[in-house]
Amino acid sequence: MKSSIFSIRNVVLGLVLAALALPTAAETWTRYQGQPRGSKLKLEGTSTLHDWSVEGKLIAGFMELESNFPLDPAAKPPADAKLNAKVEVKIPVTSLLSGTQLMDEVMYEAMKQKQYKDIQYRLKQISVKTDAPAGALQFNAVGEFSIAGMLRTNSMVVTIERVDATRLKVKGDTAFKMSDYGIKVRAPLALPLKVGDDVKVAFEWLAAQKAEAAKPAEK
Amino acid sequence: MKNPQRLPDLSRRTFLKGSSFSTLMSMLGGVPLVAQEKSADPAAANVGKPIGRPVNCGLIGLGPWGREILATLSKIPEAHIVAICDTYAPMLRRGQQTAPKATATDDYKAVLQNKEVEAVFIATPTHQHREITLAALKAGKHVYCEAPLAHTIDDARAIALAAKASFKSVFQSGLQARSHPQRHFLLQFIRSGAMGKPVMARAQWHRKQSWRFTSPNPEREKEVNWRLSRKTSPGLIGEVGIHQLDAATWFLDQRPQAVTGFGSLIKWTEDNRDVPDTIQAVLEYPQGVQLTYDSTLANSFESDYEVYYGTDSAIMVRDNKAWMFKEVDAPLLGWEVYARKDSFYKETGIALVANASKLEAQGEGGAEDTAAATNALSFALEAFLGNAGKVATAVKDFKENFGEDDEALKEHLADLRKGRLPAAGYQEGFDSVVIALKANEAILEKKRIVFQQEWFDLG
Repeated sequence: MKSSIFSIRNVVLGLVLAALALPTAAETWTRYQGQPRGSKLKLEGTSTLHDWSVEGKLIAGFMELESNFPLDPAAKPPADAKLNAKVEVKIPVTSLLSGTQLMDEVMYEAMKQKQYKDIQYRLKQISVKTDAPAGALQFNAVGEFSIAGMLRTNSMVVTIERVDATRLKVKGDTAFKMSDYGIKVRAPLALPLKVGDDVKVAFEWLAAQKAEAAKPAEK
Repeated sequence: MKNPQRLPDLSRRTFLKGSSFSTLMSMLGGVPLVAQEKSADPAAANVGKPIGRPVNCGLIGLGPWGREILATLSKIPEAHIVAICDTYAPMLRRGQQTAPKATATDDYKAVLQNKEVEAVFIATPTHQHREITLAALKAGKHVYCEAPLAHTIDDARAIALAAKASFKSVFQSGLQARSHPQRHFLLQFIRSGAMGKPVMARAQWHRKQSWRFTSPNPEREKEVNWRLSRKTSPGLIGEVGIHQLDAATWFLDQRPQAVTGFGSLIKWTEDNRDVPDTIQAVLEYPQGVQLTYDSTLANSFESDYEVYYGTDSAIMVRDNKAWMFKEVDAPLLGWEVYARKDSFYKETGIALVANASKLEAQGEGGAEDTAAATNALSFALEAFLGNAGKVATAVKDFKENFGEDDEALKEHLADLRKGRLPAAGYQEGFDSVVIALKANEAILEKKRIVFQQEWFDLG
């Protein structure tokens, strides 16, 4: 009898541990928060007068990566690895600076800053980029940009670098057309100036791990 | 003694190469075009102007200049005047006529405690600036403080240091010419070497007036005529000349090395004032360039103007309009052939107006119709409001996203300020006080004073 009691106890204990372990494995996520320093963003375009660019250093938001998310460049992840990540990014429009206030105001007006104060990005899907150079952690990211109140799907390649034990840097570049987001630039001083539709975007986003592991934010 | 706030150097070639459209673009925010300002399209009136968010304003001091600020603010859509203040009830009532919806008070502290007020304009007597400005900055307000910042260098330093430390607040000194587009156009012109090598400069401010305000009783007499006592007055050169001295220092891109002054009380001798009504000062700049300044309350001939003399031409500035008088051996710049010309006795002045040749061709009138004729105060207040609105929005956006991180916010605001609308900040305001007050000291004591570098140092 004694042995059967032990046996039942072990089974019960095993079941309890298994019950605890299953959700834990599924919900072990690490949250990285956008930092006020160490990020940069550059938008470049053209006009009939000269090329233009604006720059910013504030990229807010967070990313949450499941525990098995590949962050070790030495261990190349399988191409079909199922990656779970949640990323939401906010860039205050007023943090984008051209170098002159008048041009800034023109840009903010074109981006409807008073109604839509942030550029937003939300990741929908991420997968391993199979033809990435050796030693680089590159991913195909599909997400949605919200600019000037318009939502559009975007695909881009991003590189994730581990800066140190708690910080990651996400680098990438993409492009969009102003017309896709309904952006119309009114030339300053009523100049006969036309701004090109294509905009190139390059960014580096520094995010740091929070002190405690967190569950994914509620949708 | 180099001015640390200088703009990048321009070569003559760069200036000439960019003398039309590309120059305009390179100076966005600086150069007006008359043809556009006079467009028949009403919507075009706002084109090119900042569209920053409204700023809630409080005005402290409603004397003649304070009411001028109030009247100018009332015409700027971004300025929401929510509070006005003066210790003298009749002045407060006059202010209320311009700003009837504003809360009126005789206590400046009530303005500073008003959470609705984001920005304050301080136009009290100069010797009261320190107390009010320090309190306003401590209260987290954006501050526009009239020039001069103070009647003593110690007070001005305290103000400048407080402004420097208050990185979330925009601080602007009331040297309004620093915001005027026409002045920025001239700055590019002079710095490019288009007038040749600087030779000398002169400036004057002449009026036939007592500088005395009427008052109903002895107490008010003392309050309102603070300019007539050496204890509280920085003198003609400190109250008025400071603007022209600052302009010369800015244009010549050098701080003066020494100043010699003379002052006399000639006309207004019967009211016990001890401030001279007629002054002269010679300011010595590097490379042998000297600025001669004179001011009087006893004769109004030729009113006020500045002249900058170079080896190729002289440039005269009057009411923020300017003309170039070329030497016969000066090289041809090209555009001046088509520019508007005005006669001054036996001389012919070439109008220095942005896009002047186009104006002439379009029959738009030229210098008299340009933004040069627009009140410099208006440009200064617009710049302050634009900068204050932008900084306030940036601070709010930053805190919403990153919380309290003052060091990172400071870096962000430093980036943002690189593209600010042109205006005199705390350093320019402080420098101008040091120069003007030392000049006043030289005038009162009829002596030569050598400027020391450390007098300008704010740490």
